[in-house]
Amino acid sequence: MQNISPATLLVLVPLLPLVGALLTLLLGKILRSRAHMPAITGIAAAAAVSLVLLASTSMQVGAGPSSGEHAEPVRPVEMITTLWQWATVDKAYTPDAGSAAAIPGTPIGELTTEMRPFSIPVVLRLDPLTAIMLAIITCVGLLVAIYSVGYLHDDPGYTRFFTLFAMFVFSMSMLVAASNFLIVYVFWEAVGACSYLLIGFWFQKPEAARAAKKAFLVNRIGDFGLAIAVFLLWMTYGTLDFHDTLSANGTILPGILGQTRLADPAGMIGGAVGTAICLLLLLAACGKSAQMPLHVWLPDAMEGPTPASALIHAATMVTAGIYLVARCAPLFIASPGALVMVSIVGATTALVAALVATVQYDLKRVLAYSTISQLGYMFASLGTGTMLGFTAAIFHLLTHACFKALLFLGAGSVMHAMGGVIDMRRYGGLRRLMPITAATFLCGACALAGVAPFAGFFSKDEILATLHSKAWPNTHGQQQSPATGHAHLHLSSFSSDAVADDLTADALIGLDALNCPDVWRILFFMALITAGLTAFYTFRAVFMTFTGPTRVPAEAGHHAHESPLVMTLPLMILATASLVLGWLLFSTHWLSHFLSATPSFALPAFGQTANAPVFHLDLAIQGTLAAAVGIVVAAIGHLGRRSDGPQMERFLGPLGALFANQFFFDQIYNVLVVRPLELLAMLAGIIDRFLVDGLVDFIASLPLGIGSVVRRLQSGVLQRYALAGVMGVLLIVFVLAWQLRS
Amino acid sequence: MNSLTPSTHLLLVLATPLIGAVVAWVLGARGRHAVRQSAVVTAGLTLVSTGWLIVRYLQSPEAAAGEPYAVTTLPWLVSGIFDVRFSIGLDGLSLWLFGLSALLSLTAVLVSWEAIKERPIGFYVLLLVLEAAMLGVFVARDVILFYVFFEFTLVPLFFLIGIWGHDDRRRAAVKFFLYTLAGSVLAFLGLLVIVLWHASHVGNVTFDIDTLTAGMAAHPLPMNAEGGWLQLIVFWALFAGFAIKVPIVPFHTWLPLAHVEAPTGGSVDLAGVLLKIGIYGFLRFSLPMLPDASAVAAPWLFGLGVVGILYGALVALVQSDLKRLIAYSSVSHMGYCVLGIFALERVSLEGANLQLINHGLSSAGLFALVGMIYERFHTRSIVNLGGIATKAPWLTVLFMVFTFSSIGLPGLNGFVGEFMILAGSFQRAWTGVAPAFQSPFLVMSVSAVLGVVLGAWYMLWAVERVFFGTSRQPPHGPPVEACDLRWYETLSLLPLVVFVFWIGIAPATFLHPAAAAVRNASSAAAEAFADRMQAAQATIQTIAPTVNRVVVHPHASTPINVFPQPLPSQSSANP
Repeated sequence: MQNISPATLLVLVPLLPLVGALLTLLLGKILRSRAHMPAITGIAAAAAVSLVLLASTSMQVGAGPSSGEHAEPVRPVEMITTLWQWATVDKAYTPDAGSAAAIPGTPIGELTTEMRPFSIPVVLRLDPLTAIMLAIITCVGLLVAIYSVGYLHDDPGYTRFFTLFAMFVFSMSMLVAASNFLIVYVFWEAVGACSYLLIGFWFQKPEAARAAKKAFLVNRIGDFGLAIAVFLLWMTYGTLDFHDTLSANGTILPGILGQTRLADPAGMIGGAVGTAICLLLLLAACGKSAQMPLHVWLPDAMEGPTPASALIHAATMVTAGIYLVARCAPLFIASPGALVMVSIVGATTALVAALVATVQYDLKRVLAYSTISQLGYMFASLGTGTMLGFTAAIFHLLTHACFKALLFLGAGSVMHAMGGVIDMRRYGGLRRLMPITAATFLCGACALAGVAPFAGFFSKDEILATLHSKAWPNTHGQQQSPATGHAHLHLSSFSSDAVADDLTADALIGLDALNCPDVWRILFFMALITAGLTAFYTFRAVFMTFTGPTRVPAEAGHHAHESPLVMTLPLMILATASLVLGWLLFSTHWLSHFLSATPSFALPAFGQTANAPVFHLDLAIQGTLAAAVGIVVAAIGHLGRRSDGPQMERFLGPLGALFANQFFFDQIYNVLVVRPLELLAMLAGIIDRFLVDGLVDFIASLPLGIGSVVRRLQSGVLQRYALAGVMGVLLIVFVLAWQLRS
Repeated sequence: MNSLTPSTHLLLVLATPLIGAVVAWVLGARGRHAVRQSAVVTAGLTLVSTGWLIVRYLQSPEAAAGEPYAVTTLPWLVSGIFDVRFSIGLDGLSLWLFGLSALLSLTAVLVSWEAIKERPIGFYVLLLVLEAAMLGVFVARDVILFYVFFEFTLVPLFFLIGIWGHDDRRRAAVKFFLYTLAGSVLAFLGLLVIVLWHASHVGNVTFDIDTLTAGMAAHPLPMNAEGGWLQLIVFWALFAGFAIKVPIVPFHTWLPLAHVEAPTGGSVDLAGVLLKIGIYGFLRFSLPMLPDASAVAAPWLFGLGVVGILYGALVALVQSDLKRLIAYSSVSHMGYCVLGIFALERVSLEGANLQLINHGLSSAGLFALVGMIYERFHTRSIVNLGGIATKAPWLTVLFMVFTFSSIGLPGLNGFVGEFMILAGSFQRAWTGVAPAFQSPFLVMSVSAVLGVVLGAWYMLWAVERVFFGTSRQPPHGPPVEACDLRWYETLSLLPLVVFVFWIGIAPATFLHPAAAAVRNASSAAAEAFADRMQAAQATIQTIAPTVNRVVVHPHASTPINVFPQPLPSQSSANP
């Protein structure tokens, strides 16, 4: 193992699932009920490799902070490996003189007059952020794949499922490992395609086919934003690489997120263009991560097989938006207006989705809205623009991947036992029938609700702390360094002293909003309310499903028993992770230290920040209180009761209808977007048929009409045109002769 | 085999389909099977031979130097100062279209395997003659020869549609023929003006395309009031021919009709190759020979390309016939090509050149599959079809592949062209136009990206209705049970699938050989465009010196400042 380079290992992570997918596809007919073997072997090997990579990267980053307070700035860790040149167009583009494409530190214009090649290498990177994402994707992927063996054991599309599943793991690994915006775009859409095919896995069901199409189209709107963002990046930075490259003449071509540019405080473009780029990236993230207003596809995506929902629509693919924003952190920090929008979108989505989740009866839909809500949490945290916020978001991403996958797989186990029924009103008291599922589901629920000491408690607490520190900056005095005199944690440092000379005021649009505590206070309370609602709907689902008198629907038949070991084993592993992971990562400060070595987070402003999370007792109490209230209310309404009895939402009145109909988003889109477009298309169709084509027919009929009036031409069509041709030539010759005469 | 010179090789490639046509005719007495067998063998031989020629070209010193390869020049109609030659040769501009023609001809023959039962001799002979004409049109290096091949693509297709087409075939054939011919006559007149103008300067009437291109650079057609704007007039004459062929909206209405009525084999050739001749014409004739007029027309055609993308997509949304829907998607996709060409940026031009191949592969594949569906279910109506995926899974898989290719899914070929075209058009809007024109150009570019969303909408809607959902029994014909692909159908589409993936994963392989040719063809026009923009900016500044201030500055700290600094022109960096 000593002589295998990290680059080879990095390539193996996506390659192994790809080989697994292709082998599954090719050998599916021969392997039949063992068709999962190549796919699972590939994913398992990739998981092992990615854990090795995680460990080696961690060693490279070095030991954790010794004192826990002001650690030395961590040296960024980055490894790049180029696979092949995807496309090159020489001398394609000359950036503006004075644009950001100029190399930081060199006189403006010196290198900008040089034409840039449109050069797109297929290039992978390894840094702490990528390493941790790869580990999440492959490990959760492996557990879900093992579970699927039991879940789909007699499905006619068994081979197809594992092919697509391994393809997804490949695409997702490439997405987080790519070091070029175009390659990111490629796999951004590739995971969307896998998602489309898995949502529509049971394509005979019209709802599944429709949901798949809807998911793809809504995501295309996000991709539209990403495409334009990529074009704007290409034109402002003159490259699409993340990393620095060496140009032919030996000079360093700074990548968009490369270390040259990061070291220069003015390396990133702010202002109107910077803000536009970031907002377009946010649009893309909203599409993929199901944030408002593009969240409408995710609840419908539950038509897909539950394992696909667990991996793609809960644990990994939907976190691609979080990854993108985190990866582009330097861009967002240069555009405070966009940054604050990230938080506003996130917190709003978190609250709205949580409200909707409180009145759903479909267990998977509850979890889907919960996913939307939790992703909103992560966005709210990202938008603070502090190292603490980025760490908290990735921390929550990690824990959420574990406990949400667990909850989905638990729901799948229930669905499997209930013969496909997922309406919580139709069963109850299942804890006696399915003790392992019930116990593990409870673990996941505690983690989601933020009950100490489950994983979600720590990550959610960190997010609340991040928001709190923006809302009440003075109470977090210990994080500001009086010795240096700069409030490094806060972006005010950008405008106040650090780089004020380099950036004009209007270059940082929205800086006021970012530093306005009132905005953050509102967002903090939204997050706190969401925490309470989360606990409520989670335990409502637990109580409705697992407590009360035991009832099973008729569809369950002889199936109504605990799932086999191949399904419960992943549940138990994930439950253990949900229990210990949060405390483990929180107490060792490993994650925050590790992540700070990511080049994207190696900003000068972050360098001296105390980025190790601090435990805030008051915030923990507030969060726990909110969760407790939620659980108690859920217990009053549902604990031990028949789940088909009268429901709590009768107290909500018209609000209940609003929540139950998901705030009428589908209907609003229908009226505002779909119908008008259909009308426009119909209009275009009519114009095409009667105006455009009608005019052509009319003109075509003219010669015939004139011809029949003047003299019935006996010649055929071809000759008439030949005649016209000759006459035309003569005419031109005359014109030419006349031209030449003068 | 080294004794086979490239020139002979190319002549052999051109002759093979014609020899095959004669053989098919002779074997006709032995029945349908003998005819179709000989046609498949001929098309297969031509494809292998073409592939080999392309490999030889890529390794040749001519390819590296950007010179024509495998040139044959024979006197043809030479009398006095009149000098028409039979001149053929391969270069970067024609390379891939030449290969595509050979590839799709095999597809066209194979998809007709069972579909054509009546008069098979005539059908296959015409199909092979069409192949020879398609191959010829891309290697012709003489205006008259080009025009002859060009017209020769029309005649076989006219009969293919008119005899073997569906219910309304007569009207479709006549409309297709007259419309295209009307345009091509105008284009021919335009080319004649170029020839005569050149002749008036050098004394002999040459029709050689390279000589004419060089001549037009040395003594361009007048582009001013004294000269009667002759260059512009000639440009629009050529435009008439090529725009109808592409087709550019609003000259497209012959296309859906022709496609719907054409037999599958005809549709494959029509969508896959014949539409490309229009764009090829712009690159071969309009841009290099009439650069100033191209520069004047470019902003309008840029806009027309965007209109085509959106309009084609919108009309496709309301089609009830699957074949018509794909025909309108062709209109939309060719809009991308027009946009890419007239953005006059290197990235977009190379993208457009690749998009020709991409669209050829995806639309040919889709039309072939629709033909297969029609053979099984006897309907193309989207509402009457449903649930095909359960009956024909592999047919569905292939349809999905070509659908994803068509809607530009990354990793497949369609994405590469689309992305490069759009990147180039943004580049044009960002730094390539006078600040006063920046906003409209940006709006047009953003609208073009919207086409990507619409494209996914109509294609996935059709896929959902036709392939997914519960299995539906079409109203006509006998009940259809399991009916997956047969061997000849798989064989017809597999090569296409290989290229769909290959181009998507390693487009550089296909971009690089064409790069120099595309650059040479467009550099004069791009330079003329840059000059025009500079002049426009100067005019604006004299009329209203403040206009420049009104423009939104994309960079807050450093305002965009392209003008009055010299605009970087593409050609200045030519090696």
